[in-house]
Amino acid sequence: MAMADRFLGEASSVAGADFAHLVRRHQSMVFAIALHFLADYSAAEELAQDVFVQLHANLASLQSEAHVTFWLRKVTAHRCIDHKRRRKPPQISLEDAPEPSEPARVTDPWMARRLRQVVASLPEKPRLVVILRYQEDMSPEDIAELLGMPVATVKSHLQRALAMLREKVTRTIGEGKT
Amino acid sequence: MTHTDEDLKSALRRCEAPEGFTDRVLARVANEQAVESTSGRESGLNIFSRPVLPWATVAVASVALIAGGIHYRNVQRERTQGEAAKQQLMLALRIASSKLQLAKAKVNDINVNQTKNRQVKE
Repeated sequence: MAMADRFLGEASSVAGADFAHLVRRHQSMVFAIALHFLADYSAAEELAQDVFVQLHANLASLQSEAHVTFWLRKVTAHRCIDHKRRRKPPQISLEDAPEPSEPARVTDPWMARRLRQVVASLPEKPRLVVILRYQEDMSPEDIAELLGMPVATVKSHLQRALAMLREKVTRTIGEGKT
Repeated sequence: MTHTDEDLKSALRRCEAPEGFTDRVLARVANEQAVESTSGRESGLNIFSRPVLPWATVAVASVALIAGGIHYRNVQRERTQGEAAKQQLMLALRIASSKLQLAKAKVNDINVNQTKNRQVKE
């Protein structure tokens, strides 16, 4: 079932919803996608703000909470790619950004930081696919629909990205040991 | 040692937006709404709020156009008056010329008559 069809079965328009409440509910998702993609703290905040300002202008056309989530992920993803294509080098890197506030399941902060750095160095499309897959826990089918690309392309981006991640992380660990 | 899917999920988990993020978004939305309503209200008057330079250019161009028009009309009027004066002069010359011809013919007639009278007397 297409994602757009799924929205029809849900609650009616969210136009009347409290906008501040919507922002608070979705800000960590939008900000984290932008931060993991751009690896630039202030640029990520600016981009996330732009996304919510655009959301406010489009509220009347969104039919449900799920539709809002889908819309936010899609707009954030496209804005990330646009931003990266016309921007200057980052001012504050991921290294300087604060650690995620949720409790971590792995306790190796070095590995987590290294993984974020390597993800940020991936090519645009594979990077976005990895972020949506592992941050947002989306299936390849949902990512394909969100980014408007075939499922096979999403899977191939994922495989290639994971191979690059494995290689780069392994190489760094090897360098760290010597 | 290598990373697992769990490592990746942990590294890429959502993080909190910066402090005051919601307030900044709401302020931007309010600001954009204010700008929209102001621009809508002023759309009929915004011609007066434009910079001085375009207005000055328009004024100078208008003055030059009006002055040029007046000058052209004056030249045209002078030319028409000159043409009329020329026509009047030509008419006067033609009249004077015909009068002269008439006078000359009369003088000739008188001379011819006097000559004939003298011959008759002799």
